[in-house]
Amino acid sequence: MIATARYEMAMMLRKRSMWITNAVIVLLLVLLNVSGWGDALRDPDARNTVASTVFLMNLMLPVGYGSLLADRLIRDSRLGVAPILDATPASPTGRLAGKYLGTCAAAAVPLAVILFGFAAVYSVTAGRPVALAWAALAYAVVVLPAVLFVGAFALTVPLVMPAPLFRVLFVGYWFWGNGISPAVMPTTTQSVLSPAGVYSNQELVGLRDFTLAGPVPGATLNFLRPEATPATAWLSVGVLLAVAALALGVAQTLRTRTTR
Amino acid sequence: MRIEISGLTKVYKGKGRALDDLDLVVPTGMFGLLGANGAGKTTLMRILAGLLRPTAGTVRVGEHDGTARAGRLAVQQILGYLPQDLGVYPDLTAREFLDYIALLKGIDDRAARRRRVGELLEVVALTGDADRRLRGYSGGMRRRVGIAQALLADPRLLIVDEPTAGLDPEERIRFRTLLSQLAGQRTVLLSTHIVDDVAQTCRELAVLASGRLVFRGTVGDLTRQADGRVWTVVTAGPAPTTGTVVSALPHDDGMRYRVVGDSPPAFDASPAAPNLEDGYLALAQKA
Ligand SMILES: Nc1ncnc2c1ncn2[C@@H]1O[C@H](COP(=O)(O)OP(=O)(O)OP(=O)(O)O)[C@@H](O)[C@H]1O
Ligand SMILES: [Mg+2]
Repeated sequence: MIATARYEMAMMLRKRSMWITNAVIVLLLVLLNVSGWGDALRDPDARNTVASTVFLMNLMLPVGYGSLLADRLIRDSRLGVAPILDATPASPTGRLAGKYLGTCAAAAVPLAVILFGFAAVYSVTAGRPVALAWAALAYAVVVLPAVLFVGAFALTVPLVMPAPLFRVLFVGYWFWGNGISPAVMPTTTQSVLSPAGVYSNQELVGLRDFTLAGPVPGATLNFLRPEATPATAWLSVGVLLAVAALALGVAQTLRTRTTR
Repeated sequence: MRIEISGLTKVYKGKGRALDDLDLVVPTGMFGLLGANGAGKTTLMRILAGLLRPTAGTVRVGEHDGTARAGRLAVQQILGYLPQDLGVYPDLTAREFLDYIALLKGIDDRAARRRRVGELLEVVALTGDADRRLRGYSGGMRRRVGIAQALLADPRLLIVDEPTAGLDPEERIRFRTLLSQLAGQRTVLLSTHIVDDVAQTCRELAVLASGRLVFRGTVGDLTRQADGRVWTVVTAGPAPTTGTVVSALPHDDGMRYRVVGDSPPAFDASPAAPNLEDGYLALAQKA
């Protein structure tokens, strides 16, 4: 498992498109609101500044890395490496876990560069080095759960449909399930099931610009939106990870069914 | 290590039988597997490598039951497998790729792994290119990487599916010689369309056709299938129409044809000594 994780991570990190995609999205986010970022860099409220930056990152960047992770599992058979790997005594479950953790780790590297890069610049311009600590917390409770959630589906779903179709559906899902306001239509937006991570961002990191987590009056699926507290924030992280594990379990079942 | 296959049947969903009640014993040493496209060679090898479950029948590899989970795992511990449609990760170097497979094969000691990978890169003559990404490798070079990975854990059972396809003549000869040197105490199962590779390396072989065993014996036995059925004829006229023309060479008086068939292709045809390829063709004609 460790061997697979190591090499899968190395291969993903060598993917130039991963760096380009992230860079393009970040560039767009910056260019679309240059003056806003100027204000943010002088805002003395380190906690809220980090939190709202992470909110934006986690709303936009998963579209990129989710699409990029989509070929990682299926490409073993497409490239013809699968028979070599499958003929080794290494456990298939361990290899799947290694692939998952390795590719997710690689996808998380550019996110770390972006978040900690921002936090570092901000600590200087606003004179608030504590931003680095908030960034570390946000990375752990908001960014990583999203990577693990998205990564699990990006590995699994292309087993049952072509990867390009998955990418299209995924982008659609992402903005439906994390972007659209629950007042407009039934959606998982602002719920504990939303990998954008509003619960943990609001309750653990301290997003204060706007309140997103918690019940939305008149919306459907409000049973997925309990009162926002630190406990429900952790619950949300747990739910996301559990759903991810479930998806991987499905991947493992599908693979043993098709290869044998 | 002896492989005993009995009643082996594989039905792909929606297709006919790729293997049909196959009984075969493969002894220690080097063993050749011949057969037309779609005869079932790859299917048999994939089952032996534990990649495919048979529909019916049993496989014993040494003392292991190749159809049970524990047995398959035990076989994979001693297995080197070179698939027919082999691929590599384009974004790794040859050295990294081999290191990765070595790890999966359980060579955990770092120094031992490095040494082994270095040795095998030398064996397949890729030392000079070892630190280049595989993306830039030619087809033959990739196949050599595939050969190297099959040999990594010093396997006692080596299953190679058309290993010499795409190799240049020099590499092909080097590799088949290596295989027969390795054979000694090991079992090497070689499938190929290059009959000469079998002739030069194997004592015994089997021929499959439509998933059934149509021949099993020594190279000499198969060659003798063509006894009295090989002819050469020189003619300036049209090519012989009876039998199978195996070669046509320009000659001073027209063309010299070599033909495998029941009867002489022309009144002035002269009998010739058969080789393994003739034997293989004669077998196919009889079937
Ligand atoms: N994955 C598969 N799904 C369905 N049918 C298959 C599959 N693989 C092989 N077959 C069928 O099984 C039969 C045997 O195929 P196999 O690949 O074992 O032949 P082979 O002897 O290796 O041929 P070749 O010399 O072309 O490599 C063929 O009729 C083929 O169409
Ligand atoms: Mg084949």
